[in-house]
Amino acid sequence: MSSRFLDRALVLAVASVGALTSSGCERESRDFLPPKPGAEVGHAASAAASAAAIANAAAMVGRYEHNAHAVSAGKRLWTWYNCSGCHANGGGGSGPALMDDVWIYGGDAGTIYLTIANGRPNGMPAFGSRIPKDQIWQLAAYVRSLAGLASADAAPNRDDAFLTRTPESASDPQKPETVKPSVATGRPQ
Amino acid sequence: MNGVHDVLSPAGPQAEALYQLWNVMFVACTVVFVLTIVALAIAVWRAPRASERAKPDLDLHPRKVATLRRSVVWGIAGSSVLLLGLLLASFVADRALSALPLANAVRIDLVGHQFWWEARYESHSPELTFSTANELHVPVGRPVLVRLRADDVIHSFWVPSLSGKKDLIPGRESTIALRADRAGTYRGQCAEFCGYQHAQMALVVVADPPADYERWQALQREPARAPETAQERRGLELVEQTSCAMCHAIHGTRARARRAPDLTHVASRGWLGAGAVENTPALRAEWIANAQKFKPGINMPPLDAAPDDLAAMAAYLGSLR
Amino acid sequence: MPQALARALRALPAIALAAAAQAAPDGDWPMAAHDYASTRFSPLADITAANAATLKLAFTFSTGVVRGHEAAPLVVGNTMFIVTPYPNVVYALDLSQPGAPLRWRFEPKPEAFAQGVACCDVVNRGLAVDDGKVFLNTLDNQTIAIDAANGKELWRYRMGDIRAGETRTMAPLVVKGRVLIGNSGGEYGVRGWLIALDAQKGKELWRAYSTGPDREVLIGSDYKPFYAKERGTDLGVKTWPADAWKVGGGTVWGWISYDPELDLVYYGTANPGPWNAEQRPGDNKFTSGLFARDLATGQARWFYQLSPHDEFDYDAVNENVLIDLQVAGKPRKVLVHPDRNGYVYVIDRATGEVVSATPFVQVNTSTGVDLATGELRYAPGKHQRTGTVVRDICPAAPGGKDWQPSAYSPRTQLLYLPHQNLCQDQEAMQTGYIAGTPYVGAIVKMKPGPGGHRGRVTAWDPAAAKARWTIDEDLPVWSGALATAGDLVFYGTMDGWFKAVDAKSGRLVWQFKTGSGIVGQPIAYRGPDGKQYIAVLSGVGGWAGAVVAGDLDTRDGSAAAGFANVMGDLKQRTTKGGMLYVFALP
Repeated sequence: MSSRFLDRALVLAVASVGALTSSGCERESRDFLPPKPGAEVGHAASAAASAAAIANAAAMVGRYEHNAHAVSAGKRLWTWYNCSGCHANGGGGSGPALMDDVWIYGGDAGTIYLTIANGRPNGMPAFGSRIPKDQIWQLAAYVRSLAGLASADAAPNRDDAFLTRTPESASDPQKPETVKPSVATGRPQ
Repeated sequence: MNGVHDVLSPAGPQAEALYQLWNVMFVACTVVFVLTIVALAIAVWRAPRASERAKPDLDLHPRKVATLRRSVVWGIAGSSVLLLGLLLASFVADRALSALPLANAVRIDLVGHQFWWEARYESHSPELTFSTANELHVPVGRPVLVRLRADDVIHSFWVPSLSGKKDLIPGRESTIALRADRAGTYRGQCAEFCGYQHAQMALVVVADPPADYERWQALQREPARAPETAQERRGLELVEQTSCAMCHAIHGTRARARRAPDLTHVASRGWLGAGAVENTPALRAEWIANAQKFKPGINMPPLDAAPDDLAAMAAYLGSLR
Repeated sequence: MPQALARALRALPAIALAAAAQAAPDGDWPMAAHDYASTRFSPLADITAANAATLKLAFTFSTGVVRGHEAAPLVVGNTMFIVTPYPNVVYALDLSQPGAPLRWRFEPKPEAFAQGVACCDVVNRGLAVDDGKVFLNTLDNQTIAIDAANGKELWRYRMGDIRAGETRTMAPLVVKGRVLIGNSGGEYGVRGWLIALDAQKGKELWRAYSTGPDREVLIGSDYKPFYAKERGTDLGVKTWPADAWKVGGGTVWGWISYDPELDLVYYGTANPGPWNAEQRPGDNKFTSGLFARDLATGQARWFYQLSPHDEFDYDAVNENVLIDLQVAGKPRKVLVHPDRNGYVYVIDRATGEVVSATPFVQVNTSTGVDLATGELRYAPGKHQRTGTVVRDICPAAPGGKDWQPSAYSPRTQLLYLPHQNLCQDQEAMQTGYIAGTPYVGAIVKMKPGPGGHRGRVTAWDPAAAKARWTIDEDLPVWSGALATAGDLVFYGTMDGWFKAVDAKSGRLVWQFKTGSGIVGQPIAYRGPDGKQYIAVLSGVGGWAGAVVAGDLDTRDGSAAAGFANVMGDLKQRTTKGGMLYVFALP
């Protein structure tokens, strides 16, 4: 073989390895400091702030939903903050199921962030003043993984604890289709 | 963390037994080593030397070394005796370790977390139990029975001046017994790689004279000191209503979570973060604001809080002696 | 002995019971349990095994709500009173008109947020009616008195914070002008209590907590428990780690009975919180036990802890049926209490002594009750440890029987237990108390018990301490039972069948498929036309039916605290509903 061919092959090999490893960076990077100012989202009390939250969410996807550390931190917080007490491992209980395709308020990351931060009228408590924003994004990313919506290489695998459902990384994505009307009025349905 | 962290300064019978075993092994191995080196030196010194002009003495080759068989036999015999001796010494040390009398033992339930130590002091009466973190106090001269469990990954308990290592394995329970025979502060650390901050997972065992220990124990059983100044009251309000109470417990307040060190008497401890920072007012405030700066990768997040609020929380926590 | 004499003798207990029951006219059903002895026995005998096959639907009424309907309809005079699950609407139906039209409706408008802290569906177990007033508990911690004639609110009593996880789901009991109410929320670390309110004005008369110091548990000089293990001062503090009793559970969400001769109120306390027992060493008094309290002052007369340091969610809130039983040839005033822990207890209701405790389902979490000391002997093999999965725990968390009340027939002298046959696997987990969030610490997956059938109706003979007959049901029997003097027992299944069986043999004599699973309590009443009617609410839900009522996902076996694993087929078998069904002979 010609040395030029070999040179090209070598460059190609190095480039491929480089590309593969750098695409792994998003999954593997660990950022222990909160997002820089401007990239975060405040407590969305107003409609404008809510819209900003949802817009910002797109920018957050890489940092959270595609990041294994963030999704597994979300899983840890899921148990620590007793989310599993109402929602089990996505199947629900006193809170609705989060692993199916029905989302009462919406299943995109920004809306889930707002649900956790501000609470909802039918019984979801507001956690915005009780946990840092970074953790709310981690939890939102984990909630998405419950329905198979986080990227499969970042979603958690088989539990060490008692297994009650297919691991998040092996769950088929439940594309958020339906939004149920809110039942906050207190009148009979 | 300042404390005696020295395998070669045993302060109790467990460490003493291991220290004796170490001495036996050290002496035996040193003797063997010296003899081996001396033998090698002799062999090199007495080896026949040739010069350029002298012909090689080919007669040497087929000649048997007269003392070969004797040397080998003596070598094997000597080594076996020594090894058996070491085995016996190890056996004796094991027996000594398990022979610690446990009457009237202080019972501690130690749970290893990433990256801190949770210690729950047991009692025959449930309302006398209490929880602390990273700093254990034990009475001098009384045995301590430590139950070892892990919350997440494998850790290992090692306070070299008091005892050997024992692993804390998730899903399993084991115990280790020790006794401190001299008052003092003994440093220990996690001895099994457990993640990002394994290197900063220290603990301290303070051996107190019995009267001091009783006083410490009585203090730990009390609920948290009530806030006295307006700033401390504001600090308590923030601690209960914002992030702190999501993970920490402070007895007598509305903070009752169990994921992080019990803070009821946090100001009485010498260090924060399992030896990461000294527990001074300035460092305490910095730690609360952003623990990740000192110990990146632990589970305590930086707080989104205004400087006044952080100061209030630091003041309140600083009052929890 | 001659037949006629025998028959007369058999009828004596019924007569004695009717006299003691202090019930209104025998055609009424004025309280959920029918009478203070909690017999749920109707003296009406028109409908019998001979003619039950001809029972037909008389009228229906849609409640407009589609969650679990656990309540008993009440009938006083010509009016029927119904309460729905959240939003707890009260309807008064005029039985004197054809089709029972609505006389009035009352909408308490409880806070929507309360729905998030109801552990086991947003149920309500019934109203109470007394002296022209209807008493309602709402999910968001209110007790409301309503004028029975016109539906106007008379008074409203508020106590408890839904943001700390507290709710109210039980049916109040009114005794001598006192409204007895208890709270819910043990799974949220809520400290339990029983409160007596003045029926006229709604003022609090006394409050008895289930944990804490003696003066708050109302334990004083009158307290004379039978067993040594219940004696001591401030046991509600000393048997807990410091402060843990403040979030210790012991709520009072079940049934209350009353003995007018002894003037004692009987009720049980719920499980201690959290489920993870390692976090609360000690006996955890006064949870999972039975109290006898003086009606006027609330002071405890005796207490018996059925499941000390409970590890399995064995609340003791089930009904206490007060009967007179022949024990060793002598008549004794007892209460019969079928418990979550799988035993039917017969307890002397004057002293708190356990006369007998016999398993009515497969039990492997304990090996028996020591009658000398009262101790429940726990089986070491099922001991819970944080981070360890323990398998095949029988009975499962809903117990041998949950809240669904049994009925006692003085004619057959049998107690008819609607219940389940479930076991479970569980892993205890560390949990922290965070106000307003569940304080549980367990991952559970339930499964069918031995035999594979998930439900059962057992006719239990309390004197012989064994079952006379049983009916196996595929699904857990989560409805209450009704016994009538026509020697029939009525109950409903979770897929909507409302059944009548022969009280003596268990033979099915009639059934009707209602629109949704039945988890409510059937009643019998005499209508203004003199005919006997049977009424029941249909509408699946409750803890067992939460997978349908809450649209849960059964692909996660731990949903609904473990019920999802064993109710994967419920969505195929029934759908949500909310309808009153009333039946009569043609």
